[in-house]
Amino acid sequence: MRRDSESTRGLGGVLRIAALLLGAGLILSFPAVAPNPYTLTVGIGILNYAVLSTAWNFVGGFTGYISLGHGALSGLGAYGTALLVTKASLPSFVALFVAAAIVALLTVPIGFAALRVRGASFVIVSIALVLILLLVFQSWASFTGGSKGLVVPRPFPDLRRAEHHTVFFFLFAGLLAVALLTWWVIDRSHFGLGLKAIREDEDKAQSLGIPTFTAKLVVFVVSATFTALGGGLYALWFGDLDPVFQFSVLTGAYMVLMALLGGVRHLFGPLLGALIVGSALEYFKLEYGDTPLHLVATGLLLGVVVMFMPDGVIPALSTLFTRFFMPGEASIREVTAAELLDGNRHEAEKRDADAGGSVPAAATRQPPNETSEVR
Amino acid sequence: MVSGALLFQSIILGVLLGGLYALLAAGLTLYFGIMRVVMIAHSAFLILAAYLAWYFHRETGVDPLLSLAITVPLFFAAGVVMQRLLLARLRPATLTMMSVLLTFSIALVIEGMLGYLFTGSQRRVQLGYSGASLNLFGARVAVVKLIAFAMAVLAMLALYLVMMRTRFGQALRATIQHREAAQLVGIRTDRIAGYGFGLGLATAAVGGTALALDSTIYPSLHWHWIGPLMAIIVVGGLGSVPGAAIAAMVLGMLQSLLQIPFGTTWAQTIFYIALFVTLVFRPQGFFGGRLAQRF
Repeated sequence: MRRDSESTRGLGGVLRIAALLLGAGLILSFPAVAPNPYTLTVGIGILNYAVLSTAWNFVGGFTGYISLGHGALSGLGAYGTALLVTKASLPSFVALFVAAAIVALLTVPIGFAALRVRGASFVIVSIALVLILLLVFQSWASFTGGSKGLVVPRPFPDLRRAEHHTVFFFLFAGLLAVALLTWWVIDRSHFGLGLKAIREDEDKAQSLGIPTFTAKLVVFVVSATFTALGGGLYALWFGDLDPVFQFSVLTGAYMVLMALLGGVRHLFGPLLGALIVGSALEYFKLEYGDTPLHLVATGLLLGVVVMFMPDGVIPALSTLFTRFFMPGEASIREVTAAELLDGNRHEAEKRDADAGGSVPAAATRQPPNETSEVR
Repeated sequence: MVSGALLFQSIILGVLLGGLYALLAAGLTLYFGIMRVVMIAHSAFLILAAYLAWYFHRETGVDPLLSLAITVPLFFAAGVVMQRLLLARLRPATLTMMSVLLTFSIALVIEGMLGYLFTGSQRRVQLGYSGASLNLFGARVAVVKLIAFAMAVLAMLALYLVMMRTRFGQALRATIQHREAAQLVGIRTDRIAGYGFGLGLATAAVGGTALALDSTIYPSLHWHWIGPLMAIIVVGGLGSVPGAAIAAMVLGMLQSLLQIPFGTTWAQTIFYIALFVTLVFRPQGFFGGRLAQRF
């Protein structure tokens, strides 16, 4: 995005700021134009998803580590907030931040275990985290309320229901803005560059002197903090928690799906994904009710995105845009390790075809880790 | 104080449970060896096989064990198709991560379809010998658990023989050990990898039928299996079949023993504790080799 030539940068910058203001204006005016409280709650739900998925994208987007367990972190944030309000009688919003701080602290040992090795173990730990917390929060009923649920007192008891929704809409929007700003700052920083180097090739990043383990741990804690804040805010808004929904693998899957669908390399990717998936989920619930079919739909959508659009909607659209409106742009592009490998493979295949195709194409179809290991 | 008989009974039950864990973990290890894929859908296929066995029994009235004649070839074919059509088409650079998501989505689809077709209610196969139990040196063990264990052992033996004694097994091991070298000696590694996947999924078919014999099944049950199974393959060392088998036995036994003081729910946490401790102190697992250190 920052590789535009000098002449278009001015125009592009103005356009971008205009689009940003327009988007922010649309979001902020939503409570005023929403025809009924139901629409407003859908909007809040989508904003909540956007917060969670943007928070997920700190790890997923920068380092390429896919976590399926962020549902556990948002659940911890929610339960932490709720328990601090009900058991320690802290003021609601103090409890929210204390809970987020506790989750951030807890993430350090979890990240320490999960991030020492590469991706596969990280995914396993992340799923295990959801499963173990579901087990604990369901069984430890005397403390957490168990399957009966936990009721959280409202932070603003004298507000009417509609006003309550409006206030929380703006709170979620504010949290989303802070999360996006943090992502943007990291994206432009030296630290972010190191994280992206980990994503492209962790071995090379390490050999260049990037403290890969520390970097991964730091960004994981940042991500967990925002996730916990999102979960805690949800607890204060919704007012009723059930372990089955709070510690569901599905929540984590939604975060991944949204971020991936929008585009994990882009600031607004998760937000866009949350808009699409969030509305789709709501529509699905209206049309088909509470059947297990939403699992099928989520699974199919995730499968399609992984197979055909792993880079998301934004890159797909921006490629189209560039092709039609700015031909001849961008002589030097940012190329990912995956694209590079793909390109090399195609070239090699073409060469082989020209030479009579003697070398099996599969020889170049190895995961890079493996080839670097055996050579 | 826990009586000796109870302890002995728990150990026996732990071994029987560990056998099933070991079989399923062997399947997971196989996928990991072939493609560095963490196959989340493995336990979903396990539950699918259990449902097929239950459905087969309900429709025909014949012993659910006979459903193996259908499910094993079916799952083998499904594994081949899955590897060739889906997993092999992912980008190599992000294969490990994306394959997790892809198999996760397959698990969701299976869970959703099971819930849709058979509803979420709990199912159980009722057989003439369901309630029967044997007296083994003072420990009472249900016959169905013994049958399930025997099936797991037989399936693992078959897997061992296929891997060690056949040409295909040799080719598969070569593909796992060094893909390029295998290609150089003329092994069609793509095809072999597909068959290897089918073999892994076939273990889920056997395991599922065994599971249907002595457990109550419901669509979301697979989450209770995938956690322990993944813990087992990490503790054993990713990619190591003997490691996975030993870890399965030890953890299955520990789970069974811990059920005496803590009850069934809390005893399950042993898997996650073992996973965590392993990653902190020995991230490559206890039996993993060179391969495990990198994932």
